[in-house]
Amino acid sequence: MNLEFTQEELEFQQSIRDWMQANVPDDIKRCSAVGEMTGKELQQKWERLLGEQGWLALTWPKQYGGPGWTATQRYIFDLERAMAGAPPTSPFGVAMVGPVLYTFGSQEQKDRWLPGIVSGGTLWCQGYSEPNAGSDLASLKTRAERKEDHYLVNGQKIWTTQAHWADMMFCLVRTDSTVKQQKGISFLLIDMKTPGIEVRPIYSIDGHHHLNEVYFTDVRVPLENLVGQEGMGWTIAKFLLTHERTTIAGVADSHHEISRLKKAVAEAPGFLDRSQARQRIAELEIELMALEYTNFRTVAATDEGKPFGPESSGLKIKGTELQQKVSQAMVELGGMMSLTWDNPETVGSDIFNRATRRYNFLRACTIYGGSNEIQKNVLAKMLLGL
Amino acid sequence: MEFNLPENTTLIADTARRYLKDNYSFEIYRQHLEQQNHVDASRWSAMQELGWFGLPFAESSGGFDGTLLDVAMVVRELGAALCLDPYVDTVVAPGKLLEYIGSDATLAMLSDVIDGRAKLACALYDYHAGYQVLTPSMKLNGKRLSGQKNFVPDGGFADTLLTTALADGELVVLAVPVAACETTRHRALDGGRIANVLFDEVEITDGMILARGKKAEQALSMLLAYLQALDCARMYGAAGALYQRTLEYAKTRKQFGVAIGSFQIIQHYLVDMFIDLQQLESMLLMVAVKAESEDASRRERASTAAKAYYADKAVRIAQQAIQIHGGVGVTEELDIGHYFRLVTHCSLTHGDRAHHIKRFAGLDEVHPGE
Repeated sequence: MNLEFTQEELEFQQSIRDWMQANVPDDIKRCSAVGEMTGKELQQKWERLLGEQGWLALTWPKQYGGPGWTATQRYIFDLERAMAGAPPTSPFGVAMVGPVLYTFGSQEQKDRWLPGIVSGGTLWCQGYSEPNAGSDLASLKTRAERKEDHYLVNGQKIWTTQAHWADMMFCLVRTDSTVKQQKGISFLLIDMKTPGIEVRPIYSIDGHHHLNEVYFTDVRVPLENLVGQEGMGWTIAKFLLTHERTTIAGVADSHHEISRLKKAVAEAPGFLDRSQARQRIAELEIELMALEYTNFRTVAATDEGKPFGPESSGLKIKGTELQQKVSQAMVELGGMMSLTWDNPETVGSDIFNRATRRYNFLRACTIYGGSNEIQKNVLAKMLLGL
Repeated sequence: MEFNLPENTTLIADTARRYLKDNYSFEIYRQHLEQQNHVDASRWSAMQELGWFGLPFAESSGGFDGTLLDVAMVVRELGAALCLDPYVDTVVAPGKLLEYIGSDATLAMLSDVIDGRAKLACALYDYHAGYQVLTPSMKLNGKRLSGQKNFVPDGGFADTLLTTALADGELVVLAVPVAACETTRHRALDGGRIANVLFDEVEITDGMILARGKKAEQALSMLLAYLQALDCARMYGAAGALYQRTLEYAKTRKQFGVAIGSFQIIQHYLVDMFIDLQQLESMLLMVAVKAESEDASRRERASTAAKAYYADKAVRIAQQAIQIHGGVGVTEELDIGHYFRLVTHCSLTHGDRAHHIKRFAGLDEVHPGE
């Protein structure tokens, strides 16, 4: 039993903190200080900067471009990244398709795609959900017909985050409709510039454009863009669910949000009830502590070579609930200051003025990545034996 | 970081679990509920022989040098077994107070605790001062002690109380014979014994004053953090037992021709309990390590957060255990409702949720991860 970082880890923490201090671009700091989204340009600038350091593909084995850090170091890095006001990196390349490629991909596929992910040069999106395949993902219908030298893809994806930014999509497609649903799914890499792809925006209630519909009409995808074998798509999708999830709880960003909330309360004008606000924040901090120590347990277990299995679904559920609670507290403590939507002037507090944007955005976090209800179904079956 | 229990701690926990399984039961618990004194002489001396009486204390104080984590694992098992034996109230609590004061006189008293000869309890609370332990309403005027203490967990048999008073605004810790006071004893929510004690101009000799001022304050604040961690340990034992029993029940209880655990709402309730229990376990390990820190701010941050969290989530687990059991969950015949009372009880001792939230809100900032 040891709940302290080692001396080396503390030194590592300090070195990352110093680096963040010196290197997080000012325009990113400005965005995060008031709670504005970083757009494509800033996001990519940041990811490329990390890429240059070799700090983008954190969980990857060293041979593919990972930094060779322990889970504890990765956790510390994430914490210092968030506390410095830098955004989380986009998960689609580094956390999703990358590990799929170095686990299931051919040598050619690894050589072709991994470097762009490690450097932050290639942006990816995830083609999973469809209008009638949300939580029931296995019922997806987008079809890929095998022709002589290509797959012919027809169908529609939806809720595709950053499809309008992406160079590439990794996509679940149906290659066989004669077998059991799960067996007929394949994992395909699709260049977003291929003719026949149409990306239509979906504006979400935070007022921003993150989400898209993606339509495929006779899209020709080279055969060599199939990952693994035909019919392996479901296995690969499930693999991703068990890939390292030690940052899934969002502990680092919740720390940062709570620190912004405290700042807002400290700076806000006089009508705010500070004693009530401090107690509400204390409740959130205590919940965060419970989440953080559970997270520490998964980090420590990972470093001992005994990573958590389905238990980490609990981290996703608790972590997203807490993110929503923190953002809700920010809106509610701001009171009328949270009423502004696009007023360029500060009314009382910048942070409170923009609080509803994040609050609205985060309503999605208990839905994406497998809704919390689906996570509970999985836990009930796999852990509780119900 | 590393969260595995040390081998020795695991051994202590396993031994405690086995001992209680063989020597305690819900039936014994229910018999004791009706009695004034819960201590069964043979069980009490067996606990002493298991080393529990010396476990919380340093070797230099005559103890066996156990950590708070070791003691917490014993207390967790006591909670899981619904055991009423007043180990914490009459051994750990008074013993730790004596050890934290650490004078020749108190260490001599401590050796009687470890030997099982002492019959001590702590009388720290009264309903005027509430949880403000460092500013009790009892007064020591010269040689006369006047006031009252309530909610005194004396096991039903203590003959000496370690108690607190203000003497000209200065905190003092005293050892007062029960015989000098007016005591009424009754049953507490968890089934244990508590007393109201009236001190009516009790004459105090110099030897009865154990500590004063800063020393007394420091010893008490260390004691409270220690006991708050043990409250959590006891609640964890009970919440774990409730979860296990409720999961088992959901798999066996049939309605509409199927096990109720096949219903999605029940599955989700149970998953919520599982996840909360997982987080409670994290908080228990955290507080059991940090609540005996020499560093006051570390100690308080840990014990305050843990206690506030337990008073929310362990209570919620206990409530849901009853809900899922349905009607049978609210009966005196089933252990579920008794665990529920134990959890509620512990959520109110040594600071309730509101008290700890307020305290936490007033603590100093730390950088995340520190």
